[in-house]
Amino acid sequence: MSICLKSMNKMIYKLICVSALIAFNTIAQEGHSAEPFKIHGFVAQGVIDVNGSNFVNNDGELSLELTEIGLNTSYKFADDFRFAAQAVYLNGGNRYNDGLRVDYFLMDWNAYSSEKWQANLFVGRIKNTHWLHSSTRDIPFARPSIILPQGAYFDGFRDIAVGGDGAALKLTYNNDEYGEFDFSFSRSKSPIDSDDAEVILSKLAQGNIEHDLDSQASVYWRPVFSQWKFGLTLLDSEFNYEGETLDFFVDGNFVFQFYTFNAVYEGENWGFTTELLQTRFLTDGFYAPQFNQDNLGQGGSFQTTYKVDHKLTLIGRYEKFYSDKDDKNGYKLEERNFGIVPNYFGYQHDTMVGLSYNFADNVRVNAEYHWMEGAARLNPIVLPNPTINNKEQWNMWAVQLMYWF
Amino acid sequence: MLFGSPAIHAVEVITNITADTASITTTQLRRIYSMRQVRWANGVPITIFVLSSTSEIHQKFCKETLRLFPYQLDRIWDKLTFSGMGVGPTLVTSEKELIKAVKSTTGAIGYIENIDEVSDVNLLKIDE
Repeated sequence: MSICLKSMNKMIYKLICVSALIAFNTIAQEGHSAEPFKIHGFVAQGVIDVNGSNFVNNDGELSLELTEIGLNTSYKFADDFRFAAQAVYLNGGNRYNDGLRVDYFLMDWNAYSSEKWQANLFVGRIKNTHWLHSSTRDIPFARPSIILPQGAYFDGFRDIAVGGDGAALKLTYNNDEYGEFDFSFSRSKSPIDSDDAEVILSKLAQGNIEHDLDSQASVYWRPVFSQWKFGLTLLDSEFNYEGETLDFFVDGNFVFQFYTFNAVYEGENWGFTTELLQTRFLTDGFYAPQFNQDNLGQGGSFQTTYKVDHKLTLIGRYEKFYSDKDDKNGYKLEERNFGIVPNYFGYQHDTMVGLSYNFADNVRVNAEYHWMEGAARLNPIVLPNPTINNKEQWNMWAVQLMYWF
Repeated sequence: MLFGSPAIHAVEVITNITADTASITTTQLRRIYSMRQVRWANGVPITIFVLSSTSEIHQKFCKETLRLFPYQLDRIWDKLTFSGMGVGPTLVTSEKELIKAVKSTTGAIGYIENIDEVSDVNLLKIDE
């Protein structure tokens, strides 16, 4: 009965979202002059089949849990002030909690503007714009593939990593000799509800997890007239878990630090992207009162794209991720867990090929196939599930049709 | 030019008269279309009008004038529009509509191929 009600709720959500999109699409088409009020949106539905893991579902069946719908608005109410908001409906199966979300809801103050400098302050629910794909991870037509490299863009952390309530400062500087520079700094706190906690911590966690204000910074540089762009990003965040009286877990504290370096080449036909990362994950308590662990994870991906023509683009990517750089084969992890958690939960590698085809300016289909090795980025991450994820090698394919305006 | 062949026009950049500028550099144009410069030197806010990214004029403007590929601008605009961090340009459906929009919008900028019948706008000289 509850499953039936949940399915009905999902259908109702989708119907409401699609109806709103159709209505606002009409308004957006009519009002394409330079008015201060703008509306944009997107809808994408796909099919995904995962064999050998619980990445999307537990039964391994073909799934339609690949829905992304979004609607946003921007309203410039004074010369230097703008309001912007976006709501999204996401359904990705086990990847993250399905449902409606307020993606961002912010006030943008263009505090300083000249030919060379711009300074903007954003206050409210802000989106993480630091990493290469962090602000477009849910925007099907603006990301390179349906499934992003899970080392950096682990879907289980989506709701924590995508943004939060706080403020961001962005400075852009243009120099005719040295190129374009972007500096960003933000402090925000992600709201985590019980459904999010269940995805990350498992159903056994009865307590509450809270996210403290995190700090993020990034710098991007594009040399003058260059096809290359380079970026560095930093994140420092902390989470506190407060266990219930009858709980599988005890009070605990997690510190998560994340550093990336990225380089992007944008040629006429060829494109290259690489993103290297290091994570530090400190756990104090949680599993047991005296438990203490400090892991340095490492990973990276290399991606190449080739534009055959203005409609067809081919893509290939190779990614490696180790949750502990000092235990790359995962044997220490297996030993620590008395053999219950297999070694392949210590890493996850992904080899992907795919394509995207534009039927029109704003209608596209993406298709891709992934050969996966390891299970380090499968939910729930803090309590691995080797019963379902009993294969080191697994694979998946996905096809997604998208429309945007 | 060969007799009888259609006239070949370069893409020209036009602005609303309030922009109050007669020339512009390629790097400045790139800054404007990448949304990195949002005001003219006289303080007037810039409003950008563009044609569809698959239109021939837009492609020519991007590659020859800006020395960028159209998809690079699409990426920048999509990222701003869907992250809430900015606003993309305003899309118009024809060159005629673009000229009309630039004429009537304070601080507007656009590009056209056929300048024969254009009046009441600034035609910018592009310096390297």
